[in-house]
Amino acid sequence: MRGEEIPHTYTAFTGLMGDRIYGVVAADGDPGHPWHTGRNQEEFVLYKASYTSSENVLLPHNLDATYSEWEPGIDPIYPEPDAFKVAVETPDGVKYDDIEDPAFIADLEILTGRSLRVHYTQRGQFDARPVSLISLSAVAKLGEDLGMHMDKRRFRANFYVEWDNQDDPFYELSLVGKTLKIGEWLEMVIVERDPRCSMITLDPDTADDTPKLLQHLARKHDGDAGVFAAVIQRGRVNQGDPVFLK
Amino acid sequence: MSQHEVSDKNVESPLKEAVDKYRLTLDGEDHTVPIATGQTLLEAALAAGIDAPFKCKGGRCITCLSWLRSGDVSMADTKTLSKRNAERGYILACQARPSSAEPIWLDFDL
Repeated sequence: MRGEEIPHTYTAFTGLMGDRIYGVVAADGDPGHPWHTGRNQEEFVLYKASYTSSENVLLPHNLDATYSEWEPGIDPIYPEPDAFKVAVETPDGVKYDDIEDPAFIADLEILTGRSLRVHYTQRGQFDARPVSLISLSAVAKLGEDLGMHMDKRRFRANFYVEWDNQDDPFYELSLVGKTLKIGEWLEMVIVERDPRCSMITLDPDTADDTPKLLQHLARKHDGDAGVFAAVIQRGRVNQGDPVFLK
Repeated sequence: MSQHEVSDKNVESPLKEAVDKYRLTLDGEDHTVPIATGQTLLEAALAAGIDAPFKCKGGRCITCLSWLRSGDVSMADTKTLSKRNAERGYILACQARPSSAEPIWLDFDL
């Protein structure tokens, strides 16, 4: 489903609070990757999911107390499950107030011909690693290389950054093994490059595909775009926060 | 439009000697690719020194998505091939082996 830009976030050791906590599981899916995604149904990237109480899923209520009174390894308590209720709107404008409404899955099953179910977990579920980052310069350079407008949302990253050093548009690829600090609290080790699949070929506004993007990545960048990180110091991040290399 | 079918993993082509080369289009250029028994279309292209796009070789990343303009193949795994792409006649070159004597034309210029 479609991602969204948010003004601030709490990033835990398990990823961003509220990120990807619902997944759609296909009965006929690969046992190792059972998720129903835009890879199976391209138009699925056009579905719009939104929290019905958005403020509650951005920051834990007691976050400041954990900063001031506890060791940095303590994770604050998350909101109750009701705070994470999600509404869904389909590309045709059909609205479901609750993603767990059986009618949502029933309609999706008719559309796709698959047996599906919604899976919920409060700490997020990921088909790769929980925290990802890509630079706007990398996105722009790929667009330039292919002569197309490159919408950053194709890359579905958690963090989009701008590097001061613009000599290498793919600078983040050189950071594997290094630690970044974002804002006042968050620290994360860049653990590996992000190997891409066909999700990036899908236009976030139309679901039309551009396979040449994935082909170009494979032939020029070993198939990688952006990086994955492991959080070593959890914390709040605000849009526009500085990024430091430690 | 070509037909392709799903078969059990790692099966060899039922027509071992039927196809010994195929036509491949990439970046607007045509290539004739020798293919040995049991090879996938991707393996044969890479063995021929062609810079065909690929990443996982396991039918997961879909980087080797390509258009089977003619010919017949069987694919070991098609779970990641969407209905839309299958209806277009697209295949995963890393999973595809010749399955008839029909000449194969594989096009990466999607």
